[in-house]
Amino acid sequence: MKSGKVGQVMSKYSIFFVLLVMILISMLMNDKFLSTRNITNIAVQLSVATILAYGEMVLIVSGLLDLSSGAVLALAGVLSVSVYKSTGNLLLAVAVSIGVSVAFNMINAMFVANFAMPAFIVTLATQMAARGLALLYTKGQNILQIGDYAKLGQGSIGPIPIPVIFMIAATVVIWYIMNHTKLGRSFYAIGGNEEASVASGINVVKSKYKAFLINGILVGIAGVLFMARVNAGLPNGALGYEMEGLTAAIVGGTSFSGGVGTTSGTLIGSFIIGCLNNIMNLQGVDAYVQQVVKGGIIVAAVLYDIRFKNKKAPKVILQKKA
Amino acid sequence: MKKYLAALLAMAMTVTALAGCGNSGSDAPAADNGDGEGGETYKVAYIARAQSDSFAAWLANEMIAAAEKYPDIELQVFDGQADDAKENAAIENAIANGFDAIIVQPNNGEAQRPYVEQVVAEGIVAITTNARIEGIEGASSVDADPYKQAQVNAELALTQVPENGKVVVLKGPSGNFHADERLKAWQEVFFAARPDVTILGEDFANWNKDEAMKLMEDWTIAFGDIDAIVSMNDNMAAGALEVVKGNPQYADILSYGVDGTAEAALLIEEGTMTATCLQSAIDLAELNMETVHKLLTGEETQIDTDIAEVLITKDNASEFVEMYRERGQITE
Repeated sequence: MKSGKVGQVMSKYSIFFVLLVMILISMLMNDKFLSTRNITNIAVQLSVATILAYGEMVLIVSGLLDLSSGAVLALAGVLSVSVYKSTGNLLLAVAVSIGVSVAFNMINAMFVANFAMPAFIVTLATQMAARGLALLYTKGQNILQIGDYAKLGQGSIGPIPIPVIFMIAATVVIWYIMNHTKLGRSFYAIGGNEEASVASGINVVKSKYKAFLINGILVGIAGVLFMARVNAGLPNGALGYEMEGLTAAIVGGTSFSGGVGTTSGTLIGSFIIGCLNNIMNLQGVDAYVQQVVKGGIIVAAVLYDIRFKNKKAPKVILQKKA
Repeated sequence: MKKYLAALLAMAMTVTALAGCGNSGSDAPAADNGDGEGGETYKVAYIARAQSDSFAAWLANEMIAAAEKYPDIELQVFDGQADDAKENAAIENAIANGFDAIIVQPNNGEAQRPYVEQVVAEGIVAITTNARIEGIEGASSVDADPYKQAQVNAELALTQVPENGKVVVLKGPSGNFHADERLKAWQEVFFAARPDVTILGEDFANWNKDEAMKLMEDWTIAFGDIDAIVSMNDNMAAGALEVVKGNPQYADILSYGVDGTAEAALLIEEGTMTATCLQSAIDLAELNMETVHKLLTGEETQIDTDIAEVLITKDNASEFVEMYRERGQITE
């Protein structure tokens, strides 16, 4: 960090180094950690949470957030499963999941963008409503015997599990949007400084709708993958998953003050949490201790990231692009 | 102005509450608010722990169905939302609203105890169910014994788990009465009697299928061979089985749950899962209505009763699959 170059590399990739160190330690602790099977296992376990985390990252960058994603995922998922059961049409089932999720996100967007309500409150309310609707629709019971729908969550194409393929696709698309499009730059701009964005001619209301639209599509896909993976329609499923998504985004360097956050950081944040859960289960760490350790390491990782990060770095990106 | 309005409102509420108490206090348990001439109707409140957990939701649905068989019972269901404060408030409201009987499915027995005692003190018929709150003078109870439900599984496992067997244990939410009692039965009946058995992994999956899947995925990688899955409910057992299904290494894995869900009945029928104990919401609901009816008509004054534990294995699983098919929970 003393010489300029090393410092720059360290500051840009600090969170990546945190992950590397964690992987190294885990490897030394357990020789099964780096086995192909375990890596695949971690990636599958993380796919739903990572896809949700991208949605949260896009929203937080835009100065918004979504507390309803876990509940909307459950509602979209159970409706999708039940459509598949009655029609046998997988494409239609996926479309229903995405459609339901997008509809809820448009409601979120309307209250946030048009009526200037805080996203925290609006999405907290839709969280309750969506979970209630999922329970109402299923009468609180799990939907069983979902047939080939489960393949979307449990099958593989070649050696790669299908949920991981979706995660990779989401990573590429979100990375492209955030780094190479006007829309991505408008997200950074409105989250960084909404008034300045208005002054510079960005349609803030439209951008907010688009941020929720992206989140809606991601949550809808996550709903399909989640239900397919557990081979059932669980109205109580994905409880608290919005927090997993938020945590991954924040650990990955997304700032709650808005305007700062990257796709790669979010992916790494998600893997930091996933690897941590995985190594503690492999080592048979006591469940209570796991929670304490997880809390401690998340704080330490973020602290390290903040200390090492050249605080100007994200702003430079902003100036260049906005 | 606002102050007067608030005071007026408070007064109105007190009067209503007092009227409610007086009403049921004076001539309980016989109801005097029958809507037809001659025919008496009893107003019964069922306060569910939470409408969001699948067993509690099933029980609430069955309560409504069971009540329909009693023309003189009018049942209303309230949701405790898995929250002690909300559940206690629902009990208070039911007292104030002049119900003739209040059935409470506690969220946490000790937290609801004083409120159920209040029900008794008002002269209202009180029943605690699933799980019962022990030792409330004057209250009745209808339950399934969680200890016995796990015990019947543990006894079966004694004969099935191989010598020096390796097992994993999936636990329900920490501090939950049923989760704790079921685990206690496994510890006393099985693990104490089988010191040769090793517990490879043991963790909380909080009744959830997806959490159990994650644990089992990690455990199969960390430990390789696993002889048995000891789960405190069927959801978690089904999640663990989801991970090893179709894997020849685990073709003979044993698995035990509790609840007797539709999914478990199917898994046992096809030979994937070993056994579970049925906690029948249907039986529980019917026994509750029978009990509340006896108490309201004055046939008996205090009843403590349990539904029977039914062990489901491959021998009788098809009966239960059929039962769920009739109820529309299994469609194929």
